[in-house]
Amino acid sequence: MGHLSTESLARIVSDAARPEEREHLDSCPSCRAELRALREQTEALGALPDLRPPTGDWEALEARLVSEGLVRTHGHAFRRFGLRSFGWLQAAAALILFVGGTALGTAWTRHGPGGGLGQMGPPSGLELVPVGGSIQPVSSLAEAADVVNLAERQYIDALVQYRQLLDAQGEPSLIGDPTARFAALEGIVAAGRAAVQQAPADPFVNGVLVSALAEREAILRNASLTRGDGVF
Amino acid sequence: MTEAQIIRQACDGNGTAVRALYERYSPRVFAVVRRIAGDDDLAQDYAQEAWIRAIRALPTFRGDARFSTWLHRIAVNSALQALRKADTRTKREAPMPEAVPVAAVEGDALLEDRLERAMDQLPDGMRQVLTLHDVEGYTHEEIGEALGVTAGTSKSQLFKARAKMRELLRPTLAPEIEGENGVEAWGI
Repeated sequence: MGHLSTESLARIVSDAARPEEREHLDSCPSCRAELRALREQTEALGALPDLRPPTGDWEALEARLVSEGLVRTHGHAFRRFGLRSFGWLQAAAALILFVGGTALGTAWTRHGPGGGLGQMGPPSGLELVPVGGSIQPVSSLAEAADVVNLAERQYIDALVQYRQLLDAQGEPSLIGDPTARFAALEGIVAAGRAAVQQAPADPFVNGVLVSALAEREAILRNASLTRGDGVF
Repeated sequence: MTEAQIIRQACDGNGTAVRALYERYSPRVFAVVRRIAGDDDLAQDYAQEAWIRAIRALPTFRGDARFSTWLHRIAVNSALQALRKADTRTKREAPMPEAVPVAAVEGDALLEDRLERAMDQLPDGMRQVLTLHDVEGYTHEEIGEALGVTAGTSKSQLFKARAKMRELLRPTLAPEIEGENGVEAWGI
């Protein structure tokens, strides 16, 4: 029998030698030396150390994480697909405003002389009480929109601070379960669909529904991607 | 702060916590991705993609496995998927570079350098199997699943890769470590 091929010896590094190979190895110092070298090579590969990423790698990664909304900066940006994403908060804030607006509209419809939302100014019999007493009176739709936007931002900021305090105190995540969050979004979607049936042309109502649908889709997509990665 | 706390904060988009995870695990991620890719530039891209995927998937990490294992698996899959997409890449048949630009964390730098450069010379399939089996300790079944091949194919590629590595390393050996009957033993 001639010398064993390097490939055969590479197999014998981890698999048992066949009888004829064992017989040859017993009588051939050259093949034994080659097998020993291959074993040392394999052991050396298993002992290779980790490698430091190149300089600037973190900065590049951080920029991408921020651009994709996966880390917050200055306490205002959120994970895009995370549990407290900016989009979700917007949807939540919008839903609160939507519910409040619906109640207000219903009250106007019931009590106002014109019975419509186009009526300017509070209808008779309905007294508007500013929450916390901090909202200034407004005289135009543009000013009213600014006040609503400000309130939304204040709501989001307050929620951010709430979450940061929870984190600082080591409290468990209240909305940390994607399944529970998905179910909550399903509720918003159902409510949004019902609202759209009542006011199909209302951009605000449609916005709430679209935000909830987008967020729900993001959860599904994210779960699908991670399953594809073999994470689950 | 425990790792679980860091992970939870990273999950909430805390940049400092994400940085802490990066500092702890980036050498591990970069090493496996670098060896699968066989190229520094590709490795940096693939490692970043792995981190993005991992941070995005962080809410799904439930702690059933060690975080390092979970992250490592994402890094491997991310690099393999990226390589499959970039199948137009030319095979590296060029001479070995003078130096490997990435820095090893510890160990025998000269030996590691020779091994890394030899691995870079392997065809993609061989290098991936060799990396996953001999460096990372995957089984042939796990490799087959990751690469979409049979365990038998993985074995066959591994033996070819080991033999090719032996061939690539042989000319670099010093004369004083020659083995029996003039055959060069690869001394460490």
